[in-house]
Amino acid sequence: MKQIKITVNGKTHELRVKPWATLLEVIRDDLGLTGTKEGCGLGECGACTVIMDGNTVNACLVLAPEADGKEITTIEALAQGDKLHPIQEAFMEHGGLQCGFCTPGILVSTKALLDENPNPTDEEIRRGIAGNFCRCTGYTKIFESIKAAAQKGGR
Amino acid sequence: MAEYSVIGKRLPRVDAPEKITGQAKYAADYSLPGMLWCKVVRSPYAHARILTIDTSRAEQLPGVEAVITGKDFGGWTWGFMPATRDEPPLALDKVRYMYEAVAAVAAIDEDIAEEATELIKVDYEELPGVFDPEEAMQDGAPQVHDHVKNNMSVEYHWNFGDVEKAFAESYIVREDRFRTARATHGYLEPPAALAYYDPAGSITIWPAKQSPYFHYRHLAACFKLPLSKVRVIQPYIGGGFGGTKNDSLAGDFCAVMLSKKAGKPVKFVYTQEEELTTSRRRHAMIVYNKMGVKKDGTLMAIHSRVIADGGGYTAIGPLTMYLTGFMTTLPYKLPHFKHEAYRIFTNNPIGAAMRGHGITHTRFACEIQMEMIAEELGIDPVEMRLRNAIDNPEPGTRYETINKVTLKTCGVKEAIKTLSEDPIWREKDKMPKREGTIAWGVGLSGTSYLSGARLMGHQSCGAMVRICEDGTVNLITGATDCGQGSDTVLCMIAAEELGVALEDIDIKRVDTAYTPVDPGSYGSRVTVLAGQATKLAAADAKRQLLEFAAKTWGVKAEDIEIKEGIVSVRKDSEKTMPFSRLARIASYSGSGAVIIGKGYSGYGLEPLDFSSGIGNGGTSYSFTAQLAKVGVDMETGQVLVTDFVIAHDAGRPLNPVGAEGQNEGGAVQGLGQTIYEDFIMDKGKTLNPTFLDYKMPRSTDVPAIKVIDIITDDPDGPFGAKEASEGSIVSTPPAIVSAIHDATGIWFKELPITPEKIVMALREKGEY
Amino acid sequence: MAGGTDLLPKMKRREIEAPKYVIDLKGIPDLDYIEYDHKKGLRLGALTTIHAIETSPVIQLRFSILAQAAYLMAAPQVRNRGTVAGNICNAVPSADSVPPLLALEAKLKLMSQKGERILALEDFFTGPHETVLTGVELLVEIQIPPLPSESRGIYLKLSPKRSMDLATVGVAALVITEDGLCKDIRIALGAVAPTPIRAKRAEDIIRGQGFSDELIERTAQTAAEESRPIDDHRASAEYRRWMVQALVRRAINQAIS
Repeated sequence: MKQIKITVNGKTHELRVKPWATLLEVIRDDLGLTGTKEGCGLGECGACTVIMDGNTVNACLVLAPEADGKEITTIEALAQGDKLHPIQEAFMEHGGLQCGFCTPGILVSTKALLDENPNPTDEEIRRGIAGNFCRCTGYTKIFESIKAAAQKGGR
Repeated sequence: MAEYSVIGKRLPRVDAPEKITGQAKYAADYSLPGMLWCKVVRSPYAHARILTIDTSRAEQLPGVEAVITGKDFGGWTWGFMPATRDEPPLALDKVRYMYEAVAAVAAIDEDIAEEATELIKVDYEELPGVFDPEEAMQDGAPQVHDHVKNNMSVEYHWNFGDVEKAFAESYIVREDRFRTARATHGYLEPPAALAYYDPAGSITIWPAKQSPYFHYRHLAACFKLPLSKVRVIQPYIGGGFGGTKNDSLAGDFCAVMLSKKAGKPVKFVYTQEEELTTSRRRHAMIVYNKMGVKKDGTLMAIHSRVIADGGGYTAIGPLTMYLTGFMTTLPYKLPHFKHEAYRIFTNNPIGAAMRGHGITHTRFACEIQMEMIAEELGIDPVEMRLRNAIDNPEPGTRYETINKVTLKTCGVKEAIKTLSEDPIWREKDKMPKREGTIAWGVGLSGTSYLSGARLMGHQSCGAMVRICEDGTVNLITGATDCGQGSDTVLCMIAAEELGVALEDIDIKRVDTAYTPVDPGSYGSRVTVLAGQATKLAAADAKRQLLEFAAKTWGVKAEDIEIKEGIVSVRKDSEKTMPFSRLARIASYSGSGAVIIGKGYSGYGLEPLDFSSGIGNGGTSYSFTAQLAKVGVDMETGQVLVTDFVIAHDAGRPLNPVGAEGQNEGGAVQGLGQTIYEDFIMDKGKTLNPTFLDYKMPRSTDVPAIKVIDIITDDPDGPFGAKEASEGSIVSTPPAIVSAIHDATGIWFKELPITPEKIVMALREKGEY
Repeated sequence: MAGGTDLLPKMKRREIEAPKYVIDLKGIPDLDYIEYDHKKGLRLGALTTIHAIETSPVIQLRFSILAQAAYLMAAPQVRNRGTVAGNICNAVPSADSVPPLLALEAKLKLMSQKGERILALEDFFTGPHETVLTGVELLVEIQIPPLPSESRGIYLKLSPKRSMDLATVGVAALVITEDGLCKDIRIALGAVAPTPIRAKRAEDIIRGQGFSDELIERTAQTAAEESRPIDDHRASAEYRRWMVQALVRRAINQAIS
């Protein structure tokens, strides 16, 4: 077992973890934050996307000890209590989700995209979420939602 | 033209708030104290006899609390129909496809469970396998099941009219062989469930199922419990698309059995690799199609022979094969039709349902063949279709096909005409055909899909509407939203019928202890059939409420209306009150009245016969015409699809955002299965069981998609609705194949059309 | 382990035996850097991520072929973690960073307790998933010699999908022109041999000559002949050879346009 200290959504946790546990398992099982999903476990689908020290990563490919001392942001941090993030509002208004399983990862990737590039072109939007697989929507309304979020100044 | 308050409006999904905040719980998100983890042991052989299974070492591993094998299920098998109950929860005497489940363990954590699976020793006698359905049909091929000859899982022979005479009278007769891809659903959420077997004799399970009631029947039968003691509680579901999540899996049965043995809750979550190698897939099919056409392009006859790779077990095969033929008589008038359908057992993973089901394969073959013939005759593709397309029946009449499929609305002609006026079609001859190495092409298709599936056997579907005393409403139905948005549209139907706002209706996940039966999400049935039940339930509740209003005001109930939350008497502007007040009056009336409206869908008892192909497999039929614009790199064979334009007759899209989303999503899945997706098999082994290698479209691969609604207001659907979730997966492949032909001059008959296949074909043609 | 984006999937899929220890290199200070000097060229620390390479102004300006490859790799989440050093050491024949680095004539600095050695990237691979790294050596730096300003490099990745896909064929072409002639050319191929390779016979055809269509075609054809692809479930050897020819032709034409 290894002792780690991670800050998730602004709260710091001291945890004892198996050295081979992934950050995804820690977030879901140890911290009970089940918004971040496991889709493939191999870093190919982006369902487990979180922001770690400012960059999006696949949490399934981060070993828990690697996250020691890091700041993690998950989907649960987007809304501020009752108040939805502009990106969440845009997705709700424009129907950018169906089954919702990819949605946490997509929203986190969108946040990272718009934080770095507040006015992305269509091509940049497509590239920005290329690491997030969606099987339901065909992506069309996801693009529309992201564009709308950008127009709203969605940061 | 109807004016609705809620129907037809662009509104947010009712489950959006939970999903966008990460609060929606899916099966794998559930936990119970003391919960054990289930892992499944799988056969490394595609076809083998199981000689012995030694579980002793696994049982002794600290942390392991239960181990089971096939024997624990007492020889019980299950299937789609009584005559096809050939599938055991865990393999018994034989395994019939690679990685079929043979044992399972429950342990205190995942790591120990996995370690335990490695300690289970299974002795197999490997048997010769058969992996090609046409080979499997021959005498002397290895037999997958002992009770059928020539690996014949399902066989239908239908005959309508006189195809031979019709061919003799045709100007052109074409015979072609088509092949569809080995594709799968590709939902992001792997199958999972948390199960608890209460020693008092009941089961509670939270499984990822889009048909919870099928699953509840399976569990009741497997564990010999009354239905009232089987409680399936639906979590949010991460995509379904028909097939696996309609059925029960080894993991489900094992989790329950292990829970029974261990006395604790048991959870399983398949890995994505388990999902991609062992779950049900779309059947891969070979279609031998023969089509006869008169010189003026009139369709005379079709004779189709379909051979489907059924894999190791029957599953929903009988329905699949029925669907390969019954709609060949739509959307074009067809006077003579002969159909031979064969579903063949092989030692491949099981073929079952997937969006579009059996119709996708044969509609693809017929569309392409019709275009080939149009090309030979020199008839424009739009013209060819319009000459043959079924007309929209006059109100009060219906059209009947030779196999007694009847429909009351048909918007295919309007859909095709609309697309013929689209700039992409109009400008296709003016646009540059070649830009550097890219050849451009535009293709058209015209297809149909069934709406409100009617199957044989128990298809009951009910809904209840409960009025709370403050005027808000609980909609209680067994209908399952697996992401397609049915919860939202059912709430919209209830809101419209009652006269209240969408926000006033609340719907929860299915719980078989409380919600009325519903077969679930498949066959594009929820909006049409559960929608009808919901509308009737809301009308029932409204009727009860209006009695109270009538008494309060001393008027007749029929003179009162409810609109946008206000109850009022039509000819008396003085008598109005908010809906919430009426609800309170009714609830506190002292009569003990509890306002619950109920309704069920009367789907009709007309005959439906799989073995002859006669009858309606659906309540109504949607129609889709589609344009695809593609650029083919003539050097590398890569295909870039830039545009889809989809004109879809869904009767009336009740939830326009949802209907568009379904059309877009279905089209992109169709895109995947036309040019990218294919499981590459090697003697039963899947060589590409990852998202990287089973190539489903990503955000950088999809075209711009425009959806156009064709309104026909079908009388058999609530507020005129027909289906909007499967049409576009049927219309997309032929549109793309047609576009690729327009660009390259080559007709491709085998899917997927990979870059390599294009380059090979260009070389053969001498154009490389 | 640096990014772990190749190692962890391999461990999870049981493609390698469970290691007793996994050593996280990210704790080593001073291994994450991009340094440029017009005399020494480019030096990349082993912990430089693919994202850093994709977005580095100096790499985009002076060694754009490498930035092009980084741009085409995987997806954002993977590029943020994965390193080029890891991509090299993972040693798959289709590794996207390697053909550009071969075209740039990169060298590797390997370090062990006994000291360090500098090795040409060309000499690093011995087979699919096999390198000359001994069990006690670490790749610490990638060294890329400076290029004259009349050089232009193009990396083309052929894959059915436009992202999150493996290269069926990878072609890197770096062309140095002088007075309209080909002063020097380096052509490197990925996914068409047991290791990524330089197509030196192809280079010899056009080096020193003008860029006629006929010469470019012969160069491309020779490169195809030098490749040794196999049939696998992603593509046939035959298709891969034709694609080498098509892509080498394209890459050279793009480099000189």
